[in-house]
Amino acid sequence: MITFAVFFFFAAIAVIFAATVVLHRNPVVGALSLVASFFALAVMYVLLEAPFLAALQVIVYAGAIMVLFLFVIMLLNLQHQEEPRTRPVQQFLGYTSSAAFGLALIYYLAKFGVTQLPDGPFVSDARTVGIRMFEAYIFPFEMVSILLLAAIVGALLLSARTGATGVAPLSAGTTTENLAAPHDAAPRIEVAP
Amino acid sequence: MHGIDWVDVGLSVLKIAIVLGAMLNVTPIMVWVERRGSALIQDRPGPNRVGPFGLFQSFADAFKFILKEDMLPAKANKILYTIAPMFGLIPALTTIAVVPWGRPFTLPGGRLFEPIIANVNIGILLIFALASMGVYGIVMAGWASANKYSLFGGIRASAQMISYELSLTLAAVSVLLAAGSLSLTDVVWRQTGSFVLFNVIKLPAWNIFSPAMWMAFIVFFVSGFAETNRMPFDFAEADAELVAGYHTEYSSMKFALFFMSEYMAMATMSALVTTLFLGGWDIPWYTEPATWVGFALSVLSFVTKVSIILFIFVWVRWTIPRLKYDLLMKLGWKVFLPMAVVNIVIVALFIARGWL
Repeated sequence: MITFAVFFFFAAIAVIFAATVVLHRNPVVGALSLVASFFALAVMYVLLEAPFLAALQVIVYAGAIMVLFLFVIMLLNLQHQEEPRTRPVQQFLGYTSSAAFGLALIYYLAKFGVTQLPDGPFVSDARTVGIRMFEAYIFPFEMVSILLLAAIVGALLLSARTGATGVAPLSAGTTTENLAAPHDAAPRIEVAP
Repeated sequence: MHGIDWVDVGLSVLKIAIVLGAMLNVTPIMVWVERRGSALIQDRPGPNRVGPFGLFQSFADAFKFILKEDMLPAKANKILYTIAPMFGLIPALTTIAVVPWGRPFTLPGGRLFEPIIANVNIGILLIFALASMGVYGIVMAGWASANKYSLFGGIRASAQMISYELSLTLAAVSVLLAAGSLSLTDVVWRQTGSFVLFNVIKLPAWNIFSPAMWMAFIVFFVSGFAETNRMPFDFAEADAELVAGYHTEYSSMKFALFFMSEYMAMATMSALVTTLFLGGWDIPWYTEPATWVGFALSVLSFVTKVSIILFIFVWVRWTIPRLKYDLLMKLGWKVFLPMAVVNIVIVALFIARGWL
């Protein structure tokens, strides 16, 4: 009974904040709402007897990735700007396609009866997850690592384009550094000997 | 629901009351220690008018906070501006729940009293999950204030948190690998007893003395300063550059909440350093009896260690100047992160060879 109450409370929170992410026109509020939504999702994992997964969900998504998102949004959008309402056709297409996807999801969930958990005690501690990941799912795991490595190399390539073009590196760290200490960012005047 | 164990409920409430009371009292005590400590270091008297040695200065400060007018900037986002201080306080208050603060002992009724609020098997992950939420209080406050100094404070806090949380977590992974468990109770039990170095020196079996883990201790401790926004890394506040950083616009009790959460986060971090590396409640060169005497002594030992770490926090704040931003980033990504990763490999090697 109490499980149901907790479930519906946090399900409502997850849905409301997910809707806020899409509908609110301020990107910072959107990102903070996404954090709340992720947090409510972690509670779902706890209810599914997977506390390990719940902790990882909060640490990785709500804690690390969204902080990075917020950092970038705040850095690029310093003047509290709100998104201008433009492109009505795309907006219409976006709403209809996501509505269609949602309906399809509900239809198939109802059709195949995926509303009941399978039986049996669930073990999802760190040991079990680790063993499964490095035995049964070692290939996908390594593929994901390579994918991430490719992304890192790509980011490095984009951010380290100096010298040839003379453009200053546009990495996040450099930008804040410039913002934090304007006098350091001023062009250096070479004094002729 | 049938048969609620009322004794169990009572003990839980008692434990929560003890820990919550201790945490809430950390702030006034630490404010006094900080002000007198800074005075000691800078060779000046410090607050010495209210009560003996200025001990009641914190109460005077608290009254001042309560009586001050609560200002709301005209352009602020009202909802976020109001909930930001709470977001800062909640993680600081809740993370202490999974830290064991004494040796378990048997009560007269034959019941085992475990001095820990929530003995969950994912203990340390819970701490990191909640602690990673703490930065949102700062970021929210910085953004919602509609003040550019506050905004810079928030941006800096998020950048710093991303950089240092990684090395903090990886440094803790070394300890967890050695303990073979995520529960902090197991981590402490593994550090009881002692080991002998070179057949001569008898050292307590704390992780800090282990040849495999002293590096992780350095990384964890210094990253802990960054995680709690303390002095060499207080970029979110940086009063020389950003007025008061993320809480420039805050006044009255809202400001006091930020103040409290800073000191509570410090206390939690000290408790965590103690638990992970300094043997938790273990008393060196002494085997505590499994009675209430052993319990009392172990609690005393835990509190002493936490107090020493807290004093080091104060000491460092008034001794080491703030790092430059690029140095901060360099230290986080190019020194501590590799150190933490290398340390994991070292610990794994030690475990594989059976040395740990």
